Amino acid sequence: MLDTLGNSLKDAVKKLSGKTVIDRAAVDELVRDLQRALLSADVNVRLVMQLSQSIKKRALEEEPPKGMGVRVHVLRIVYQELVRLMGRTGEVSLEPQTILMAGLQGSGKTTTTAKLARYFQRKGLRVAVICADTFRPGAYDQLKTLCDRISVPCFGDPAESDALAIVREGLPRFRKQYEVIIIDTQGRHALEENLIQEIIQINEIAHPDHRWLVIDAALGQQASEQARRFHDAIGIDGVIVTKMDGTAKGGGALSAVAETRSGIVFIGSGETIEDLERFDPDGFISRLLGMGDLKALVERAEEAVSTDEIDVNAMLKGKFTLRDMYKQLEALNRMGPLRQIMSMLPLGGMQIPDEAYDITSTKMQRYRVIMDSMTPSELDDPSIIGSARVQRIARGAGVTPEDVRELIKYYKIMQRALKGMRGMDGGKFNMQRMMKKFGGPGR
Amino acid sequence: MFDSLKKKLQNIRTKFASNIEEAAEVEVEPQQTSGTAEAAPPLARPEPPAALEERERPTLINRVKVFVREREILIREKDIEEPLAELEMVLLENDVALPVTDEIISRMRADLVGRHRGLGASVDDLVVSTLRSALCGVLGEGLDLLRYVQEHERPVKILFTGVNGTGKTTTVAKVGHYLQKNGFSVVIGAGDTFRAGAIEQIVTHADRLGIRVVHHQPGADPSAVLFDAVQYAKAHNIDVVLADTAGRFHNRANLMNQLEKIRRVMKPDLVVYVDEAVAGNDAVIRADEFNRTVGTDAVVLTKADMDPRGGAAISIAHTVGKPILFLGTGQGYDDIMPFEPRAMVDELLGGGD
Repeated sequence: MLDTLGNSLKDAVKKLSGKTVIDRAAVDELVRDLQRALLSADVNVRLVMQLSQSIKKRALEEEPPKGMGVRVHVLRIVYQELVRLMGRTGEVSLEPQTILMAGLQGSGKTTTTAKLARYFQRKGLRVAVICADTFRPGAYDQLKTLCDRISVPCFGDPAESDALAIVREGLPRFRKQYEVIIIDTQGRHALEENLIQEIIQINEIAHPDHRWLVIDAALGQQASEQARRFHDAIGIDGVIVTKMDGTAKGGGALSAVAETRSGIVFIGSGETIEDLERFDPDGFISRLLGMGDLKALVERAEEAVSTDEIDVNAMLKGKFTLRDMYKQLEALNRMGPLRQIMSMLPLGGMQIPDEAYDITSTKMQRYRVIMDSMTPSELDDPSIIGSARVQRIARGAGVTPEDVRELIKYYKIMQRALKGMRGMDGGKFNMQRMMKKFGGPGR
Repeated sequence: MFDSLKKKLQNIRTKFASNIEEAAEVEVEPQQTSGTAEAAPPLARPEPPAALEERERPTLINRVKVFVREREILIREKDIEEPLAELEMVLLENDVALPVTDEIISRMRADLVGRHRGLGASVDDLVVSTLRSALCGVLGEGLDLLRYVQEHERPVKILFTGVNGTGKTTTVAKVGHYLQKNGFSVVIGAGDTFRAGAIEQIVTHADRLGIRVVHHQPGADPSAVLFDAVQYAKAHNIDVVLADTAGRFHNRANLMNQLEKIRRVMKPDLVVYVDEAVAGNDAVIRADEFNRTVGTDAVVLTKADMDPRGGAAISIAHTVGKPILFLGTGQGYDDIMPFEPRAMVDELLGGGD
């Protein structure tokens, strides 16, 4: 299901490419697909509606910057609006601090507490943990076991039923000796008035520097409501999304971020104690939408627009020289692996031969060195390179003649691939755009 | 329970009704101009609602014809478009997963469009009955666990599955308590040997309830633990074995294989899938995966007390097509209630007919 959504979104984006004026119907379609993708990812319905309204409005009203295609223009708007929705990334300082964990039952507070302890420990801070979950049987054992594995002290008492007493006793005990103190609490939901009172009191006693809300990635529309009430109670200043190693996309966390006006600080992505990552908005957006890295795509596209372009048309006519390839490789070097770039472009059904990808960065580097040893006429017309020239180039570049031949073979594959694409129906315009991107800066 | 969904659905109901009413009022004009309404020959008797297959296309001609002949109106797609869109939003807002929402909406549309409605007949009834049948169709029948245990050979073995943190262990304790209260003897197999503190958790619950737990060391093979639990039940003539397992994600092949092995070894009579009522769209994906790898015979929805929107119930039931056994409604051992789909639908739609 995820894939089909991502694909339909890609298709919708594809329909925009090649258009010179913004097509209302195409934008509508894109927005509709975007809505479906976001709703499937559990983003709050109201947020989705607001987002799609503003995307639609901006896409139709704003003039694309000069030189920027319609598709890129719309994608950029989509990306900017999504980032706005995402809020800022929550701050994590590596200073002495007290952190209070809050969240629903089973959201993964205890596991996350241990993971956080490990995170700060690895950053060289002295960490201690307080188990203020006096309700769930085995909660203390669980936290203690996890903390023992990483030699972090854990204060708690399974026989004590008053969480406040534990916090009161544990905090002074740890405060002098430890820099980071994390307080794990019992799972509670917003309708349990007495439990909400309890966490308000814990908050008052502990004066934590941070109050982080733990949200299960699978949490649905309920996320807004819960986050709002937690926020009213103790003032949430960060959200941790857990269980991102499943298939849930964590849209609920966005609702929570919107409600608390905070940011996502961490992402829990596995069952071991190391499986905690700092939040990366772009990866998160990709996952929400089920498509490649949108930010990178937008950036690349912007970059491509702003640079001089190589003669795309000549290239499409088959006049693809080593010089062009050199520029490509140079551009690629800055952009990252070819396959990754290709996967970021919503090319739809277009197939690039596997050999074309089959080039590692070290190889790419070598290719450039080899080409540096060629004469301008060889670069312009590779067909003149005979075995004598191969020998000379190899010597000049400090490589074997085989390497030179391999480069020429690679060049031929690329040339054929380009010719093949040119022949494809309707693919031409796409292809031009793609080539622009690969072209990088001209001379 | 399910208050928010309930309120919304009732709003929608009136919306549908008023839209269809409006459509009817527009229709009054052609009736007067044609003037033959009274004398219309009873060519076609008003269709009984059961024979809906032979519905006419709601073209203008047909609409007038039907109206004139039978003093009924034919519902057009246009008449219900707006309330349908609104219903869609309501369902989505209440965590009914997108594909399931799509299906309910299309079912509603198919049921309503082209349907005849007598001028006197209440639109409200028509809408409610359609919505009810759509929801009932999705929710299916409930399952009476007590009767199930009575009718099957003892010990009845029940395996609990689900992803992390949905409340399997708590549910096992609650179900144990429920069965015990109803006169069955119970043993629990502590099959979650992975999560730190899981064995302590289930043992504490069981101690409080006076239920025997069969457990091994943390890290032991869960299949072995649960096999022992079954053996124990056989040796001591215990009615029901409740098998707890570690939470696992459906996209972890090795963990799912482990669950498959557990199933092979202990041969459960019922595989109960536990998920939380607050889960969103992912509920559908994981319910489906669990159903495919280890099978699911029934579903327990936990955390239904968190002002639940009931959507997950609808999504999961629709996806696996299996009955919902219980709703978990709080932290106490008594906070579990057998799920009755009809009662839920009645409540959602406001007290039935």
